[in-house]
Amino acid sequence: MKQAGKKAMIIGGGPAGMEAALRIGQAGFESVLIEKEAALGGTILKLCSSFPRWESPLELVEEKIKQLKHCSYVKVMTETTVIESRTRHDGYSILLKLNNGDTTELDINAVVLATGFEMMDVSIYGEYGYGIYPDVMNSLEFETLLKAWGDGMGKTPQGVAFFKCVGSRDRSKGYPYCSKICCMYTAKQAGLVKDMFPNAKVYVFYMDYRASGKGYEEFVREVIEKKHVRYVRGRPAKVLPDGGRLLVRAEDTLIGIPIEVTVDVVVLASAAVPRQETAPLAAMFGTKTGEYGFLEQKRFSLARASNRVFFAGGCGFPVEAPFAQQQGASAAVEVIELFSQ
Amino acid sequence: MEDNIYTPLNLNDIDDSIQEEIRTKCGIDVDLCLECGKCSGGCPNGHIFDYTPRKIVRLVKLGDKETLMTMDALWICLSCQLCLDRCPSGIDIPAILDYMREKACRGGVEASRPRVKLFHELLLSSIRERGRVSELDVVLKYNWKTGEYMKNARLGVKMLLKGKLNLSRSRVKETEEVRRLFEATIAKDLP
Amino acid sequence: MQTERVVNPEEKIPHIPKAVFLFRSCTGSLEYPGTESAVRETLKIFGINSVMNADQTCCSGYLLTCSVHKPEVSLAATARNLAIVEKTGLDTYTFCNGCYGYLSELSHILLYHSKYLAMANELIGRWGYRYEGRTTIYHIQEMWYRLKERIAAGVMRPLKGLRVAAHYGCHYLSRQYGIFDDGGYPTFHEELIESLGGTPVFYKERQLCCGYSVGRGFTHKEVLVQPHLHKKFKSAAEAGVQLMTTVCPGCNVALDREQPNLNKRYGETFNIPVIDLAQVIALALGVPISKLGFDANTVALDHILKILDYDKGI
Repeated sequence: MKQAGKKAMIIGGGPAGMEAALRIGQAGFESVLIEKEAALGGTILKLCSSFPRWESPLELVEEKIKQLKHCSYVKVMTETTVIESRTRHDGYSILLKLNNGDTTELDINAVVLATGFEMMDVSIYGEYGYGIYPDVMNSLEFETLLKAWGDGMGKTPQGVAFFKCVGSRDRSKGYPYCSKICCMYTAKQAGLVKDMFPNAKVYVFYMDYRASGKGYEEFVREVIEKKHVRYVRGRPAKVLPDGGRLLVRAEDTLIGIPIEVTVDVVVLASAAVPRQETAPLAAMFGTKTGEYGFLEQKRFSLARASNRVFFAGGCGFPVEAPFAQQQGASAAVEVIELFSQ
Repeated sequence: MEDNIYTPLNLNDIDDSIQEEIRTKCGIDVDLCLECGKCSGGCPNGHIFDYTPRKIVRLVKLGDKETLMTMDALWICLSCQLCLDRCPSGIDIPAILDYMREKACRGGVEASRPRVKLFHELLLSSIRERGRVSELDVVLKYNWKTGEYMKNARLGVKMLLKGKLNLSRSRVKETEEVRRLFEATIAKDLP
Repeated sequence: MQTERVVNPEEKIPHIPKAVFLFRSCTGSLEYPGTESAVRETLKIFGINSVMNADQTCCSGYLLTCSVHKPEVSLAATARNLAIVEKTGLDTYTFCNGCYGYLSELSHILLYHSKYLAMANELIGRWGYRYEGRTTIYHIQEMWYRLKERIAAGVMRPLKGLRVAAHYGCHYLSRQYGIFDDGGYPTFHEELIESLGGTPVFYKERQLCCGYSVGRGFTHKEVLVQPHLHKKFKSAAEAGVQLMTTVCPGCNVALDREQPNLNKRYGETFNIPVIDLAQVIALALGVPISKLGFDANTVALDHILKILDYDKGI
């Protein structure tokens, strides 16, 4: 049963956005899902496997796309961006730019921001050489390398080192907050390297490992105890070029001695920051972002940032895909409640 | 040593053999260690150990055979088993130390506390000869070997007067069987 | 998120001054007078007058670190030195990482803690000095980088691809704010060397401390400092470094004077002359070699000058 005159726009086609669009549509209200890339899925499209069950993220995306197609109240617009918005008494008039360069107008009554997160630019850490040495990369770039290795391409590594908390938990050059997901995805990445190259030496340099979730602790222990990834407690100080490879210098804080190790690839688990589009879009809808650019919900609400503006997923704070979905559904519930008045 | 002060340990050079030995011969997988420190927290001698129980497990992971055999903790551990009891992963640290003690003795490594080693040796050789610990024997030999001839002499006299000291150098009937047991299981290099 | 960490040269030195106060360094002016001379000559080429005053004292950093006196003495000494500078109305330029570090830190303490400023001014006021915090403290390497284009344009004796390695020292880049470059991976010395026609060398231990650390070179030379320097020079030699530059006379002492001792102790054949960045710049800009004081160097520069065809001594 279609409810007349109530339309929601969801900006961002990742797990959060897809779920929000789907739930709003299933409740009988029109939803328009705007995605700037050519395909739906967002960041998880780039990922190789997932935690804690080693499942393929692509399967989730495929399933969601099927469900979205099945729901007649959902309209998906890929390669589309939001240019402008004019506030009206019952919503917004949006100007969209389409894939062929044309523009089109759209009147909506609520907007859900689901623009997601991206990796902080860690070239500020000159001591790690990101942007200087080609084999130093952030975790998202490493997922691409993992996929290439999985396809049999690229050089077989003898050693890989993962640095956690690069930019996170850093009051000096980065952000004081913890980016939440890195301990888990780093364990996943380290485990995958060992699966592909059992003879490679894989090291994870950590301050802590945070595995608070269903099946999470067991996942990390499996990586350490069954896959034999070596966890070393100590934030590395320096990456130096050494005979074509990379030398890492750190302290093993548990025994209290300085150590070094030579590897082929260094992966920096960089701080997760809101995507660049988030702040201008929030401003477009008269919504403030917090200290670090993340959207903030109003007190006592689940996903409401301001009057007709809701948000879900990584643009509120870094979050894993299943919980981004949950947040999308929460945003949908609040939109439905708004539309049902 | 001075000239090595700026050569840090290279993780790629870690000798995995000791971790493997402990896994196969003692049935202990040190990868299970959560590094929580509950063992060290409870260890009664922890504050005198040069390497606390948690660090001892870390040494195994780092393949540092030398430190494991020469450290002081090896000989002043009381075997109270508290660390094993507290460990959330059930890692048997006393068993690791037992193994390392044997290894050190076999390898001729000098004990950091020679008296502890001497005591162990005297007890074991008493059992091997007589099938039981002949207390007077052990105590007298210990005093002799450590040069403290009159140690506990007063106490000994008191015990004798109260009938608590066995003067006879007792032995079991089948000492030959005990000796065979020893031959089968323990190294030949005991005194 | 710290965005003021790295400062643009144009922001820190908006206009090239006509004159600067050149703060003399105990080690720099006495052990390596060529450094001071090179700085003055290079500044002169760019029309900058360097004013000095014999009344100044050592920045007192050396003594402070060795705990020779109470910190209040250093605060007073800093206030007095900077009071002398303020009388000229100029900005303070030092050519020593140590002086730069200590003057900056101690003046910061004075200006942010009125109690200390009052104490210092009371002490030095007895001789008619008064520190008000009107002068800004710079390291001369900031001026070199600010004048980078003009230096490149003024090269008269290009370095002919000589393999030059930079030694940045610790006390400038390890500061948290207001430095010119990324302390984790600095490149501005290498940029300057390149503009002079040299080949900058990024050897593995490029950013390693020299080890002298104000006094340790005296108290713990064999135990700590020599193994340390050995590591540094081994790495430099393996990378084929021919000349090394510093911006701190303290580092210069460590790297230059200890080389023959290293050779004797470890059986090495290190032969890498170590001079100040200002001396290299002055050399390339055509300052007469007689004014560069290379005679003060333990590791002689003769073979370098020969490679560059400058051994005529002009």
